[in-house]
Amino acid sequence: MLTLLIIIPIIGVLFILLLRERWARVIGAIFTFIPLAISIYLYKFFEPTNTNYQFEVNYDWVKVIGISYHLGIDGISYPLLILTTLLTFLSVLFSWDIEKRRKEYFALLLIIEIGIIGVFISLDFFLFYVFWEIVLIPMYFLIGIWGGPNKDYAAIKFFIYTHVGSIVMLLGIMAIYFQTEPIIGYYTFDMVVIQQAVAPNISSYLQTILFLVFLFGFAVKMPIFPLHTWLPDAHVEAPTAGSVLLAGLLLKMGGYGLIRIAVTMFPWATVLFSSPLAIIAVISIIYGALVCLAQEDLKKMVAFSSISHMGFVLLGASSLTAIGISGAVFQMFNHGLVTAVLFMMCGVIHHKAGTRQLSMLGGIAPKMPVAAGIFVVGSLASLGLPGLANFVSEFMVYVGTYYKFSFWVIIPVLSAVLTAGYYLWAIERSFFGPFNPSLGKVEDLDKHELIPLSILITLLVIIGVFPAIILHIIIPSSLNISWLLEGFSI
Amino acid sequence: MIPELLPELTLVAFALAIPCISYISKNKKIIGYFSIIGFLLSLIAVLEISQLSLRYSLYNDMILIDSFSIFFKSIFLCIGLLVAIASLDYIEGNYGEYYSLLMLSILGMMFVASANDLIFLFIGIEIASVSTYILVAFRKKDKLGSEAGMKYFIIGAFSSALLLYGISLLYGIANTTNIFSLKERIGEKLFEPIAVLAIVFLIAGFGFKMAAVPFHMWAPDTYEGAPTTITALLASASKKVGFAAAMKVFIIGMLAVKINWSVAFGIIAIVTMSVGNIIAIAQNSVKRMLAYSSIAQAGYIMIAFAVLTKFAIAGSLLHILTHAIMCFGAFIVVAIVVGENIDDYAGLRRRAPFTAFAMTIFLLSLAGLPPLSGFISKFVLFSAAIQAGGWVVWLAVAGVLNSALSLYYYARVIKYMYVVAPSEKKEEIKSQKWLIITVIIAFALTVIIGIYPGPFIDFAIRGAGGLLPS
Repeated sequence: MLTLLIIIPIIGVLFILLLRERWARVIGAIFTFIPLAISIYLYKFFEPTNTNYQFEVNYDWVKVIGISYHLGIDGISYPLLILTTLLTFLSVLFSWDIEKRRKEYFALLLIIEIGIIGVFISLDFFLFYVFWEIVLIPMYFLIGIWGGPNKDYAAIKFFIYTHVGSIVMLLGIMAIYFQTEPIIGYYTFDMVVIQQAVAPNISSYLQTILFLVFLFGFAVKMPIFPLHTWLPDAHVEAPTAGSVLLAGLLLKMGGYGLIRIAVTMFPWATVLFSSPLAIIAVISIIYGALVCLAQEDLKKMVAFSSISHMGFVLLGASSLTAIGISGAVFQMFNHGLVTAVLFMMCGVIHHKAGTRQLSMLGGIAPKMPVAAGIFVVGSLASLGLPGLANFVSEFMVYVGTYYKFSFWVIIPVLSAVLTAGYYLWAIERSFFGPFNPSLGKVEDLDKHELIPLSILITLLVIIGVFPAIILHIIIPSSLNISWLLEGFSI
Repeated sequence: MIPELLPELTLVAFALAIPCISYISKNKKIIGYFSIIGFLLSLIAVLEISQLSLRYSLYNDMILIDSFSIFFKSIFLCIGLLVAIASLDYIEGNYGEYYSLLMLSILGMMFVASANDLIFLFIGIEIASVSTYILVAFRKKDKLGSEAGMKYFIIGAFSSALLLYGISLLYGIANTTNIFSLKERIGEKLFEPIAVLAIVFLIAGFGFKMAAVPFHMWAPDTYEGAPTTITALLASASKKVGFAAAMKVFIIGMLAVKINWSVAFGIIAIVTMSVGNIIAIAQNSVKRMLAYSSIAQAGYIMIAFAVLTKFAIAGSLLHILTHAIMCFGAFIVVAIVVGENIDDYAGLRRRAPFTAFAMTIFLLSLAGLPPLSGFISKFVLFSAAIQAGGWVVWLAVAGVLNSALSLYYYARVIKYMYVVAPSEKKEEIKSQKWLIITVIIAFALTVIIGIYPGPFIDFAIRGAGGLLPS
């Protein structure tokens, strides 16, 4: 079943490349819808109370050095899998009017989907790394070909930055690989075996080093202050669908890796470093929010807000509590939805009004009422208004932080004021106030833009009201991790 | 007939027959096909011998045929075969001479692969080198080509002299030219200054052949001036001769005195990969860029000399194999595009979609991105260094950082092919079926080794077993 999720986009890529240009988007839509359907269909069979990996597939791939083709999902990866298939499908819909080199565009979107799905479902370090790197190249092209004015710089910066992050992680993978033979008697890359049998027996000194190495790799991807500088460039220059995938999914790879590998495999080191991590997380949250206040470009503001919101993921993980970790995973899911709405809206505004500069915009709400409504709801969700999805996850992170760090939680809580500040200010400056006549004719949303946006907004409301539909999947697995961590807490 | 030497004898027979045929027929294709058949027969013979998986020692221990030599022979023959196919489209002039020399140079390389005696090793290197000196200057009217040939010849002769001097010093110390007896006898002469001197000369001599920094100066000029198919031969096969020979002499012959040389190789490895990559960034000619990149890749391969475990040598051999293939592919793409400047690659995706795509795969594989062959071999190589522990871990770190650095200039070519619009209208690329066929073969191998590396890793481990049994 899980193998299908990887194979179907590959077939889609082949079809797109072989058939005519005008079929590309239809095929893209079909072959991203099928994985979405499969991942939702799995919901029926997924047992939330079972904390083992489910739907497992395990074959030998390269037996000589112990590489296996091992797939499986649990409560941490399943929500992210749904998010991936959903956002790629919606990005394809949103990109319906792309004209330039359409064939390659949709093929690249599908390749990115393969990589991200692979990262979330693979349970073998080697496989994990392969998928992790597959994402880079198509994203490089996506930014480099369809990007904004400064695309060359942004594309290569993104490429080099995240590649350095991932090869540092590769060194960590190699180091852990060579620990397997002395401890369990054979070489393996299998994550499950390593987590259960190898990682607990690694010397504490090596655990510390490995934790930091993996943390570096994931922190670049997430990105965590001070490794975030690639993000604003890449997000701003990327085409809208690229930004959606970058912020909605690529950042989640970092967060997922943090929880799945760094925290779960090296619980001892996680406990050791939990306070510094929390401090870095809070710096990320506050710094991201402050920088947002200063932004002129709407898209850049949304990009920096991602840094702030991904800080919550790290904060939740560093709280070491079940509720904090569930909050972190849930925050990744919700941030994926919200940030997709906001980036799509940036794309819409740029497309319709011709600019994203807040000082140039103004008073466009009467011209595009639906768009204004969606943007307002998206912003409110992002700033954590109760009743919308992000409130729940941020609240959970706060609660987790309170358990661990007691009243210090006041600092991240206060950041919500900043977040509210920059969003409301941006809404006011762009949609309301006097109309800027130099903008000319501004129209409301096209149909292909409206459909994905309304799906996302609906989901935000549904999840905000009934968070349990996602949370009951996440919590058992998070509890499992927190028990693991508890054994090392003092 | 001695079956163990059948591959070599086949090559000799065909190489000598080709000039005769070229007197009878002036048809280029017939000579080309004839040499391709020769390579194929020889390759089949090598594969047959490899089935037996035995160690043959011939001519009073002069020649040793084992898994190590089979590994290298297969690489050399494959590259020779591919070069012969590609040349059908590319070379103009005296075909008989060209193909005959090509086969002789491969023959010399195969001698090196199976040599177990310093003199025989040296003869093999000379056969390979002398043939390639002429091949580099094959376009006699071309000034750049003649300069390249001259430079290559002088530096090559100089390095051969150094090598020979090193060998004679070794003979003076150990009283033998046999590599296996060398191993036993050199042990007690550990710290004699003359042994150190011999090691210095040998490192310098082999360093020139491998194009390791600081002995690399000739490589970019020679690679640039030579006919591109010959550049591919130099980078993919000729360069690897240096490694095959150095592995034999150092890892078999002088393992006992390894403290004298393994650190030196480690330092040269780091310097080579860093210098190669940094200079490659500044290049505007794709051919020169690839030349520097293959210098950098030599640095990675050299890691094995410092790590000295079976696994590391296997990684090195695997990287020799994968680099030979991807580097060959990349150079042949240069031959197809004709232009060498990076501007000539602008908008290549429109003019030659498959070639551009294949080039992308070769470059990404050279940079070591999964799931391509270059990633697998680098992975095995670097992880071997980490496994060994100690100071060699830093070699892996340097290698990994260099790989990240190299991505910049590889990605630059890709950017030109896919993103940059050509400044003026470029002429169409001629469809050259033989060149395209070799690109397809190299492309397929790059992807296959990346996705299904098991048998190849196994092959490399067996090859390393021939060198370092434990």
